[in-house]
Amino acid sequence: MSILFQLIFSGISVGMIYGVIAFGYQLTFATSKTLNFGQGEALALGALVGLTAINFIFGTIWGTYIGVGWSYLLMIPLVLVFGFLQGTVVERLGVRQAITIKSEAGWIMSTIALGIIFKNLAENIWGRDGLKFPSPLPEAAMTVNLGFAEFRVQPMELAIIFGALAIMLAVEFFNRKTVFGKAVIATANDREAAGLMGINTTRVISFSYALSSLTAAFAGVLVAPITLTGATMGVVLGLKAFAVAIIGGLSSGMGVVVGGLILGITETLTGYYISSGYRDVPGLILLLLVLAIKPSGLFGRATIKKL
Amino acid sequence: MRHITKGFWLVGIAALIAAPLVIHNSYYLHLMVAIAILSILTLGLDVVFGYTGEVSIGHASLLGIGAYSAGVLVFLFNLGFWYALPLGLVMGGVFGLILALPALRVTGPYLAMVTLAFGTIIQILINEMVFLTHGPQGITLYTPLLVNLTEVMSWLPSSWSESLPSVKRIKEIQFFYLVAVALVFTIWVINRILRSRFGRAFEALRDSPIASDCMGVSVYRHKVLAFVISAVFAGFAGVLFAYSEQYIAPNNFSFELSILLLLAVAIGGRKSRVGPILGATIIVFLPNLLADIVLFRIVAGVIAAIALVWFIQSLVKRSESIRQRILPIILCLGFFGFSLWLKQITDFKLAIFGVMILFVVYYLPDGIVGFFRHFMPKPKPEQRHNSVAAKNHAAGFWNNPIKSANPEILRVKGLKKHFGGIRALDGIDLVVQSGTIHGLIGPNGSGKSTLMNLLTGIYNPTEGQIELDGQSLAGLNSSQIALKGVARTFQNLQLFNELSLTENIMVGLNHSYRSGFLATAFALPQARREEAAARQKSLEILHFVGLADQGDELAKNLPYGKQRLLEIGRALALSPTLLLLDEPAAGLTAPDIVELMAIIRKIRDHGITVILIEHHMDVVMGICDSVTVFDFGQKIAEGLPSAIQKDAKVISAYLGQSAT
Repeated sequence: MSILFQLIFSGISVGMIYGVIAFGYQLTFATSKTLNFGQGEALALGALVGLTAINFIFGTIWGTYIGVGWSYLLMIPLVLVFGFLQGTVVERLGVRQAITIKSEAGWIMSTIALGIIFKNLAENIWGRDGLKFPSPLPEAAMTVNLGFAEFRVQPMELAIIFGALAIMLAVEFFNRKTVFGKAVIATANDREAAGLMGINTTRVISFSYALSSLTAAFAGVLVAPITLTGATMGVVLGLKAFAVAIIGGLSSGMGVVVGGLILGITETLTGYYISSGYRDVPGLILLLLVLAIKPSGLFGRATIKKL
Repeated sequence: MRHITKGFWLVGIAALIAAPLVIHNSYYLHLMVAIAILSILTLGLDVVFGYTGEVSIGHASLLGIGAYSAGVLVFLFNLGFWYALPLGLVMGGVFGLILALPALRVTGPYLAMVTLAFGTIIQILINEMVFLTHGPQGITLYTPLLVNLTEVMSWLPSSWSESLPSVKRIKEIQFFYLVAVALVFTIWVINRILRSRFGRAFEALRDSPIASDCMGVSVYRHKVLAFVISAVFAGFAGVLFAYSEQYIAPNNFSFELSILLLLAVAIGGRKSRVGPILGATIIVFLPNLLADIVLFRIVAGVIAAIALVWFIQSLVKRSESIRQRILPIILCLGFFGFSLWLKQITDFKLAIFGVMILFVVYYLPDGIVGFFRHFMPKPKPEQRHNSVAAKNHAAGFWNNPIKSANPEILRVKGLKKHFGGIRALDGIDLVVQSGTIHGLIGPNGSGKSTLMNLLTGIYNPTEGQIELDGQSLAGLNSSQIALKGVARTFQNLQLFNELSLTENIMVGLNHSYRSGFLATAFALPQARREEAAARQKSLEILHFVGLADQGDELAKNLPYGKQRLLEIGRALALSPTLLLLDEPAAGLTAPDIVELMAIIRKIRDHGITVILIEHHMDVVMGICDSVTVFDFGQKIAEGLPSAIQKDAKVISAYLGQSAT
């Protein structure tokens, strides 16, 4: 029983990471009907920049005074700014022109190409080996007692869950409550009409890419302490997030959280009860099943065709 | 032009036959085999990527499926090449179907996402299922010896058989010819498919998916078909690949290869046969190019030189595109400079690869073939069809007009369509008499077009029934409804712009073919007969709408008024019982409108019921047998045109209530 709880718990924390990345896909898909096929690289870059930043902060004379935890917190704004800039670069080089050509193939190939370039540059800067990311929280697992079951939890896994929810809520809050956020929603609803109302939709799309990469970079520093950090760390995560985005629905905010949890939990269960080699397989099967049964995703709404 | 292409292909085949006699180095022969095998794959990929515009990032895995079909047969059952070949084709097709059926249900980047995930999963599965695939250790196979020449020759004098090359060499040559035949066969079959109704459908669904569905050409089914075709060729290439490399392992079929294959099609040139082959050649040499810094500098220099010539040409011609050409030329020169600066290349291999993709996407969207096509004189459209012959048979397609036995062809009961809180249609009852022209009028936003979209299955009703000829249309999609005999035109024209007039009509005639896919792919006599018949019929229809002399023109080049007529012609190709015309006179000049009215009357006289939405009152009053008036999603009046004109409700709906 307790092993089951433990599996479900780590499934939830992995799933939240998938959810945040998929949330990033949604942000750009809503405004521009495109998404960044190099999102995994955005995550890896975020984590690597975070690693350099935290080592730098911790290495300064104040470092020993403030400790790893505070260094981690101080590093986060730097990573967010970096992610923001990286997203604008992706939009400028990979998407803007491709949207005007109206070719599906164009932006898919150019965002993949940018992902490849980023990965290669990261390999040249940070090397090809996985690096250890200092953990801001104690790494020893704590025991949680639910009365009927007892299981062990890594504090960082808890931090992932809260961090992921926090960034998604922050972006949602921004979109709903600020004027600029309203422009984002307006563009998402009808790009042409928003443009006619004087909204600079090009800038909105660019901004949504910036936000998308920002969330990915944040996900990178969230997950980094419990894995190895390196240029290729994002590839599989980005791919899983595709599955999550489709399962939850590319157009539904709630969907990615639930989709992430479904995928994360199925994976850890498959990994433990069947074989760790097969843990990635149920994702694809779920993905195909959801597309076959409800193509707009579990929580997505079918769009109305306009003539 | 046709002769030139034919000559070109004959030279190509002759070169293939001569190659092993000239090339004695088995490394180069192997390179040619590799190019041919990848060409089979990229030619198939072009059907999806070039023609339907969908992106597949899983073709390397489909190649792997084919290769492992061969590998597993050897590994587990010791069965050789001739067993692997059919299995590879079937497995490619089956996996293609499993991916395409769910992924293509919705438009968007779904196929790319699904195939990308599939690629990763397949690599994991091949690694994990050791009992089947031998896992990461891979499988070794041996190039088959198809005909044992030493045995065949054994009855000859011994001096002859001694002069034969070694068994290894014979194997190489035989396998080369086998792959060459496979390549020529692939080109032939793909040409047959793309020039048939299937190829037209692939292009049509890209131009206007809605119109395709409404012509009975299901977008979904044809996209799935295109993907399965390409998957079968990928499986085919996979079997050949396994026997050519003689060793396969999971990491042969990586994500990078899938991207490389897409790059091959894009860089060579989409929607052509030469392009994918050229692209395959480039990607076979790419690893060598990216491993040798000197070679890389030379190639970068040549590219920069070509770009410079291209730029100077535009300066000389003073063409307007100079400003657009500045950036790519700077990039090309910069790339050359970068190649000179670079000390060693291996660390930046992938980044260079990425830059190549970006460059192709932005500055070479039509590939190398498209780039050089710009310099060639444009071929004149060939007058392949005799329009006089069409004139003589102009009445042909009216021979058996479909008359409905039912006096009421269309019955609509309590039809509602709500978009959120907006009641676009709020409980409509409508009966259309067979063989009449029934007008639908009403102010903008009164629900006329919504009704049209409900009748053709583009929308699903919120409530209510639609019966065509006594049969309910509930639950049918657009293309099924079209095949039941409901044709339509569109308020905003939805022509297949990249197709000729004749081909536009022939898409509408898609329903008239009986021969299946295989009969078409192998150009069996029945398929050819039907193609000729459809071409003839399309000319007759063009003649009927007065466009017979422009049959080979592209639809986008037609003036607006003629485009409306072409749309009516395309709808007639469906041999409909009910024809829906959505504002056919919008934007037409007065003489065009007279011609249009005559055509609509003729259509009615041949037994086709017409529903006409129109704002030109003189058209409505002039040709309609009865008229229904809509306002705010409800029917406010119905009857003869003359009665409608005097109806107080109608007048107030159009002009507003009088003040008194």
